[in-house]
Order: sequence, then C-alpha cells, then structure tokens
Amino acid sequence: MRKLLTAIGAGLLLVSTLTGCQGKKPQPGEIDGYDQGEQYLSIWVHSIEDTEEGRCYRRSVEAFNKKYNGTYYADIEFIPRNDSGGGYSDKINASVMSGDLPDVLTVDGPNIAAYASNGIIQPLKELTEEEKSIYLESILEQGTYQGKLYALGAMESSVGLYYNKEILKEAGIEVPKAEQPWTHSEFLEVLEKVKPVVEKRNGYALDLTFPAGESTIYYYAPFFWANGGNLVDESGMQVDHILNSPENVDTIRYFKTILEQGYMSKVPVEHLFESGRAAFKFDGAWEVNTIYNSYPDIELGVAPYIVGDSWDGERYTPTGSWAYAASAKTENLEGATELVKWMSGVESGTMLWEEAKCFPSTYQAFESIDIFKTDENYRALYEQLSSYGHPRPKTPVYPQVSISFQQVLENCVLTGREPQAELEKAIERINAKLKRYRVNE
Amino acid sequence: MMKKKSDSILGMAFFGPALVLLTIFLFLPMILTLIFSFTDFFALNPDLTHFVGLDNFLQIFKDDEFRKAFANTVCFVLIIVPLQGLGSLGLALLINRVAHCKKYFKVAFFLPVVMSLAVVSTLWVQIYSPEGILNSILGHLGISAQPFINSASQALPSIAVMSAWQGVGYQMIIFLGGLQAINPALYEAADMDHATPWQKFKDITLPELKPLCIFVFITITIGAFRMLVQPMVMTGGGPSHSTYTMVYDIYETGTVNWEIGLASTMAIVFAVFVMILTVIQTIATRDKEEKHADKKTKKK
Repeated sequence: MRKLLTAIGAGLLLVSTLTGCQGKKPQPGEIDGYDQGEQYLSIWVHSIEDTEEGRCYRRSVEAFNKKYNGTYYADIEFIPRNDSGGGYSDKINASVMSGDLPDVLTVDGPNIAAYASNGIIQPLKELTEEEKSIYLESILEQGTYQGKLYALGAMESSVGLYYNKEILKEAGIEVPKAEQPWTHSEFLEVLEKVKPVVEKRNGYALDLTFPAGESTIYYYAPFFWANGGNLVDESGMQVDHILNSPENVDTIRYFKTILEQGYMSKVPVEHLFESGRAAFKFDGAWEVNTIYNSYPDIELGVAPYIVGDSWDGERYTPTGSWAYAASAKTENLEGATELVKWMSGVESGTMLWEEAKCFPSTYQAFESIDIFKTDENYRALYEQLSSYGHPRPKTPVYPQVSISFQQVLENCVLTGREPQAELEKAIERINAKLKRYRVNE
Repeated sequence: MMKKKSDSILGMAFFGPALVLLTIFLFLPMILTLIFSFTDFFALNPDLTHFVGLDNFLQIFKDDEFRKAFANTVCFVLIIVPLQGLGSLGLALLINRVAHCKKYFKVAFFLPVVMSLAVVSTLWVQIYSPEGILNSILGHLGISAQPFINSASQALPSIAVMSAWQGVGYQMIIFLGGLQAINPALYEAADMDHATPWQKFKDITLPELKPLCIFVFITITIGAFRMLVQPMVMTGGGPSHSTYTMVYDIYETGTVNWEIGLASTMAIVFAVFVMILTVIQTIATRDKEEKHADKKTKKK
C-alpha cells in the first residue's frame, strides 16, 4: 500500500511540475512592488537578463514602476533568443497557441507586419503628434503597418559604408557629402582607382560578402531601393513585376560587375577591412566601436551609401531593430501603450547607448549623447539614419523575402546564374507563402 | 498471487514516470506531427488551421528546395558512411596494434566527440578559411588555395570530412571494444596454420566484428541524415543551397517561416525514408546463417 501511495505521490508531483509552468496573473502583494490598486502589466523581452542590454531593460522597467507607482506595475520576463532567431520566437509561437501572451512584447522590426496581420499584436492607443515627434521617422515607419502604429523601438540601427582613410588618400579620392553620394558608375571609378593601392596590400577594394541570414538584405537592399527598384509593393502583398523589375536586374548585374572586375573577393576573407587590406566595407554601426577599440591603427571614415544613377534624394539606407508592441491579448491597451512609450522613450534609449552601444530611437536621445556631435563617424551614421533611413520590406512573409533575397544575390553574383530567372524563382517561392494571406483577405 | 500483483504495481511505479515523460515528450509530439502533416497549421495563426489532405505531400515533392535538400542529404550520407565507418575501423585496428601510448591515441581521437558540434564547426570554419591553416599547408605543398566551404562543389564534401573527423572516435571506441573481445585463441590457431595478416583480418576479425559493423553503419547513417548544425554554423546552407539538408529545410520551414504543417510533412517523409533505409540496411547485412536459421524456424 505504501508503495502504491508513493507511486501516486510521485505521479502527482510529476504532473504538477509539468503543468506548473503555465502562466497566471499574480495578485497584488504577491510580487514585491505590486500593490493594491495598481494595474498589472506583463512584458517579455528577447534578451538574457545578465547582459548590458538585459540590465537596461530591467532598469527601464524599474523606472517605469517608480514613475507610475500606484497606477501600473510592469513585470518583466527575459526569454533569451538564440542566434538563429529561435528561443524567444518559439515561446511566442507556443503562447499564441495557449493564449498566454503578455501585455507587451518585443518584436523584431521586420516581423511586425507578420505579427500584426496574424493578430498577435494590436495597434497602440493613438499617440498625439507631439508624442510621435520625438521618434526618428524610421522608427515610426518601421512600426506602422497598413496605416496603423503597432510598435515603437528603443533602439535603432544603421549600416555604414566604411572606408580606410589612408588607402583613399593614397589613391587620391575625395569622399562626397551625404546629399551627393557616389552613384553606381562613380563608385566603379573609385574602386578602379583604389584597386592598385589595395593590391599592393594583398587585398581587395571592397570587403563584401553575401552571408546567409539577415545581414544580406539588411546591408544590400539599399542598392535596390536607391536604383528605382523595390522588393515588395506598398501593401506588402505583391512581388510580381516588382521584385523582377528591370531596375533590380540591373542592380544585380552591378554587383556582378564588382566581382568580375576583381573589386571584391569571391570567397569571404576574414578581417579583410580590419587588417587594412580593403578600402571599403559595409557593416553595422557596431563596426565603429570595434575598429576604435580593437583596430586603432585603422583610420576609419564613413562615406554615404551608394545610390543608383537616377537617385533623387529618396530614403534608402538600412534601419531597423527590435521594438515594443502591445499584444492582441492585452485587456489594458492604455497601460500597454504607456509601457511601450516608456520603454522606447528617451531615457531608455540613452541608457541603451551608454550600456550596450545600441543607437537610440529618439532625436532627443541622440542630441543628448555627446559622441554623436563630436565624433565624425557616429555623426555621419546618425545623419544618414535620420535623413535617409528606410525600413526593410513590410510584408507578412518577410522571412521568405529575406531568404530569397540572399539566395538571389548569392546564386547570381557568386555562382553566375541568370538574374531574371533567379528572381522569377524567388517570386514563385514568396507567392507560395503569400497565398495564405490572400485567402484571408 | 498477491506477490505478483504487488510486483506489477512496483514495476509500474518505476516504469510509470518514464512512460508519462515519454508520452508527453516523445509519443505525443510524434502523433501530433503526423496529424499536423495533413494540415496547413501556421504557428502565428493556429486558429485558421484546416485539414488539407495530401496537399502538403504533393507540395514538398514539387518543391525544388526540398528535392535539393534531399539530394544533398543522400550525397552527404554516401560520403560520410564509408569514410567514418572504415576510418573508425582502421583507427581501431591501428590503435589495437600500438604498444605504447595507447591511451594517448584513444583520448586524442575521442576528444572531438565530446566537443560540441557547434564549437567544432566554428573551429573548422577557421581551418577551411581562404587564409586558414589548411590552405597554408596546401600553399607549402605548391597547391593553390581551395575555397572549401565557400564553393558550391566543395562545401558538402568539406563538411563531410569535418563531420567524419568529429565523429570517428566514437565508433573507433566501439570497434576497439569489439577487437578486444575476440578470442585470442582464434588468432593463435591461425598462426599455427601460417595464415597471412590479411587472411586473419578477412576470416577472423571481420566476421567477429560483423554485428558491431551493422550497428556502427546504421548509427552513422541515421546520424548523417540528421545533419543540421554543421551547415547552419559553417555555410548557412549555401553556397547556392549546396549544403542545405532535409533537417535544415524542416527547421527553416517550421521555425523561420512558421509553417508547422508543411514542416511536419517533411519530418514524416524524412522519418519514413530513414526507417525504410534502416530496414533495408539491416536485411542486407544480415548473416547468411541467420537467414538460414530463420527459414528453419519457419519450416518448423
């Protein structure tokens, strides 16, 4: 009998352990700081708590709780995301099924359209023009889907066309102003002039690769936008005659020319730019910090991103990062919106810069950080971001667009396949994913 | 009678928790995968799930990427199974003969097995890089630099070589155990008959190791079919999909594109294929005597 009881006890313990993971709304007093009369708001972030970024989120939430003491209590949960994007998004997917979404969650910029069109997040409560005006245009643009504002980010990002001042000086090249970037043909001339200089250094004019993952579309989609092309239409639902436009074919051929002329290596060479053997490199804004700290011998400059010959001042440079959104499950949209505004506000953004060197998302935060005025490279990146920042394609099938974009460039430029045929194939794949949304329409 | 009953309850008590866990984490997901494979289950919007019959199956067989992934996986298996299987047998034979530093060699060859595949892959990205150690060595031998994982034709074999290097130690230990279990009297008898080393290997070592060989080859095959980490870390499935494997496709479809239904179909096709192959492999490598014995029992 005793054995039987033990067995039943063990079974119950097991079941309780397995079901104990289910989320449940805590009562006032159960958590330190959550008092009677306060509205409870749960928030999920995609980071590990014990990182600079994670600590910033924690401190921002604590500051929110202090400011709104008596009204709201925000409870933060950290759900780490791995490099390939799993972890956090798996948890979101599982919670969509079980209906356990928090009030506020973080969403990667390009995923906002998918989350919005699948009813995972809902539009924020209307913000006043004054409230909106603090954010960079690229942040508002990223968070808006089909005319409604869904998300606001605390951080923004940018990609620079970095150059090695020493090499350019030796080649006798002057870098243009942001308003007059090098056009495709001008840049080819520049590369031609630089080539003999870098060849002496056993390098290449351009440190450029098309890696699998998000970087390829993030770094090189601007070449398409600034050449009169686009990847998807405004609604995010059409790619036919857009992705395979003559302009896009022309842009792919441009990359092919760069390779064929020997301005870039066919295989990635590690630290080509950092070791002083390349004149130019496209990389995220973090590269400035890396060069300053780890490669002090490199004289770094930031040149304006390259444009097509017909460019007429349109926005085209890379942007986008994680943002806060109110989940569709929240019953307290007003509170969730307040929390989103706070978490993406000036204070949070400034802190994220100070601790984790992430670019903030508000004009005021940029103005208050000295380095964006004193350091020419950071200043150039900020100016590029505020004047020319362009979000990545806003479509619910963004992951497929991103994957296809990388494949097209890799297959056409590196493997030598025909651009038109590859773009048609990409369209077929993207359309297969869009089918689901067209049925819903 | 009472004793029997309490025994069975006790048995259940020990077995129960494992059964519950297996049901929740293994059997249930397997059944769910099978069910999902006939639906258009989309992770971001599970409410809109419909049964679609065999649509997913038709779709994946028409899909270029899935076919390419399938071909790549088979190609990888065809390279790695002989490479790793024979490699491990060869290493085991060599180490078995070494008189000194046996432990050192065992540890040296086994070390990569205990290292995480992600770590090993990162390490080999450096080794294979255009200016990496391997190309430096080739340079000294007067061979021009090879692109390895950066070329569509070399990437898959390069990953296979790395994977064989990583996994070979495990099978080597199994073979070593097998070699040590062979009765020395057999070799002594062979010596008395003046058998050559090759004859001894062919007529004693190999037949004695046969059950182990089957086990080793089947485990390598199944492991190779599941290849994912190496291309994920080293090539991202490229260049031009040359290292895109079936499991990678399942992962991308389910996790990145959120299409659980389609990914489940791929998983089912994959599992059935591996199962069929394993059965064929088992039958093909069965002992003639076993077959004979089977026939006899059937006659009886």
